[in-house]
Amino acid sequence: MTFLIAFLGSCPVTQGEIRFPPPEFESGYTFPQTTSPAPQSVLQEYIDAAVLVVGLLLASHLILKRRSRRAIFVLMIGALLYFGFVRDGCICPIGAIQNVTLTAFDRGYAIPIAAAVFFVVPLIFTLFSGRVFCGAICPLGAIQDAVLIRPVAVPGWLESGLRLFAYAYLGAAVLFAATGSAFIICRYDPFVGFFRLGGNWNVLILGASLLLIGLFVGRPYCRFLCPYGVILRHLSRLSKRRVTITPSECIQCRLCEDACPFGAIREPTGNWPEGEYRIAKRRLALFLVLLPILVAGGGWGGYALKSQLARVHPRVRTAERVYLEEAGQVQGTTNVSDAFRATGQTTEVLYADATRIRGRFALGGALLGGFIGLVAGGKLLVLSIRRRRTEYEADPAGCFACGRCYKSCPKEHGRLKRIRETAAGRA
Amino acid sequence: MSGRAGGGWIVAVLVAAAIGAAVAAVLRLDTTGRTGSGLSEAYEYDVSRLAKIDPNLVLYVESGPLIHTGMNQSRSIALDGAGRIYVAGDRAIRVFDAAGKAERMISLPGEPQCLDVADDGRLFIGMKDHVEVLDAQGKTIASWDSLGEEALLTSIASHGDAVLVADAGHRIVLRFDAAGTLVDHIGEKDADRDIPGFSVPSPHFDLAVSRDGLLRVADPGRNRIDTFTLDGNLEFWWGERSVGIKGFCGCCNPVSFALLPDGGFVTAEKGLVRVKIYNSDGAFVGVVAGSDQFAGGKQIKVCETPEECQGIALDVAAGPDGRIYVLDPPDNTIKVFRKKGAST
Repeated sequence: MTFLIAFLGSCPVTQGEIRFPPPEFESGYTFPQTTSPAPQSVLQEYIDAAVLVVGLLLASHLILKRRSRRAIFVLMIGALLYFGFVRDGCICPIGAIQNVTLTAFDRGYAIPIAAAVFFVVPLIFTLFSGRVFCGAICPLGAIQDAVLIRPVAVPGWLESGLRLFAYAYLGAAVLFAATGSAFIICRYDPFVGFFRLGGNWNVLILGASLLLIGLFVGRPYCRFLCPYGVILRHLSRLSKRRVTITPSECIQCRLCEDACPFGAIREPTGNWPEGEYRIAKRRLALFLVLLPILVAGGGWGGYALKSQLARVHPRVRTAERVYLEEAGQVQGTTNVSDAFRATGQTTEVLYADATRIRGRFALGGALLGGFIGLVAGGKLLVLSIRRRRTEYEADPAGCFACGRCYKSCPKEHGRLKRIRETAAGRA
Repeated sequence: MSGRAGGGWIVAVLVAAAIGAAVAAVLRLDTTGRTGSGLSEAYEYDVSRLAKIDPNLVLYVESGPLIHTGMNQSRSIALDGAGRIYVAGDRAIRVFDAAGKAERMISLPGEPQCLDVADDGRLFIGMKDHVEVLDAQGKTIASWDSLGEEALLTSIASHGDAVLVADAGHRIVLRFDAAGTLVDHIGEKDADRDIPGFSVPSPHFDLAVSRDGLLRVADPGRNRIDTFTLDGNLEFWWGERSVGIKGFCGCCNPVSFALLPDGGFVTAEKGLVRVKIYNSDGAFVGVVAGSDQFAGGKQIKVCETPEECQGIALDVAAGPDGRIYVLDPPDNTIKVFRKKGAST
């Protein structure tokens, strides 16, 4: 072994092109076509960032100023073509969550400029203009929006409950990125296979299923799964300007009630009816008591799942496999265990690494579980709180800024008529 | 009204089916690679198919019982003029008579890598970094100077007053005189002499001197056997790179060879384990044995770990009667082959 190591150390001087030429096959074998994607140029990253900024500026103008669904739709399709099919769905702000997280937790990782820009810029625009990124730029949102043909309403309680998946997905994505285990958002990106015109069958089925659901349930990925959407939801509540259904005062005609396929239009509310108020108060008190229990229970559950969660990390999986092989509990070896042994590392080092990573998952799992418990409890609390609204308005958190509601408003029709008349007068 | 209700059911069923398909797709997604690459058969590298040899090409049969070397790690084989078999391995040389009966064992201070038996009975033994010279009785006559830490001697041959040593570590052949004085470096990269230098990706670098006084050196990275004069001039070479039976394949083959009494060659390959015969011009003649006859070849696969890739491979020797002796290191045995139809 020693002489082999000594020999290997002396080998690299030999030229690679001479040492490993391709064999000449003589048995009818033909080389399959292989492709080597070229590395992305830095210039391309800057171009993508510039397109994103210009697209968001244009989207803000079209959504907030021009209020044109048709123009928004055209921009959305353009963004779908560029960020989706031309740029292969990469890079996107949704996946950039993981780059940002890994940067925060791993000193050895430097976030690509494009990832940082794609993560931050839509957040800034959301603070000023609401979810214009979701409405007109995001290719994942666009592909779902484009297939929505017969929207059905999702009950509010169900919508709120299903949205819990997005929070859990966000928490899990952060946990796995922080521990260096996996970028699960990219792994389970449902539409990237369509953008790249090929991919893993299961991912394609996942994407096709979401599109099938999306024929009837508007933007199911955005509403119930998108981790970036969770961040945008909360930021958009703080946004300076946002989508308003009517360009002026609401006349309470109720024509807009059915316009939104995403259940984001909130109807006016009065004061609580006396009986309901008391019930709601009691319910609120109960949920306030329940909140710490849900957080603690979730934290305990996450902690209990630390071993299962840690298995997502390849080092832990390798350690478990090697342990089983060393203990004679499984027959044979795998490529992974062979590759580990080829490194010459000792199993003690491997096991120590796995133990350290599991330790991280004990804390991370508890935090993830606690986070999910907190969100669930928070949602229960929100259901028990009645916000006063005097007119129909778009919920800033749930509104994707698609512009569908404009057309239903008589006031908007009036505004458009005046614009046309002014333009005709000028002509 | 009923039409709308019916439509609602269809939508509900479609959505439920899509949710089920989505959940199943996520659960079935292989994120650890346990189900393989998912690539089509076109990407499969099935070497077992290549290991099959046309029986009509096999010109030899096993002759006599296996000879067990009695070693834990056999490395090299050589024959003397009387047909005695010498095996280097562990920290010793074991000697067997022509019938395979153990005669004696010569202990060594270190692990021998290769050996040669001179016409006068002297043993030239290549250790990792130097040469030990023993008399016919096994007594040490000389221990030559070390060739450095990076040296790895893998083959040695004596011819008259010259001793040729293959150093895989430095990828060069060294010519000594019988007293151990370094006379020349052979095969060094030299554009003026059209010598490209040896390509030795793994510790298999064999040589032999033919009766005509020409030095034959395996250039395993180029899958060929070079012919040099003892002055170091590259005369010609033969060998074609191919997985076909007539060529040598992989990163580094042939791993060893020996000269036959008629001037031809017997070669041994690793990976796709094969022992074959070529005539003196390098034209393929036939097969001695295929993968299924050796321990390392019973489970045909592409090597995966450095240990497998760099591992010990077959060594071959030829007897004066044309028999072929194949040392099978994984099995620590010697298999003897004779030509079909030749007397036993």
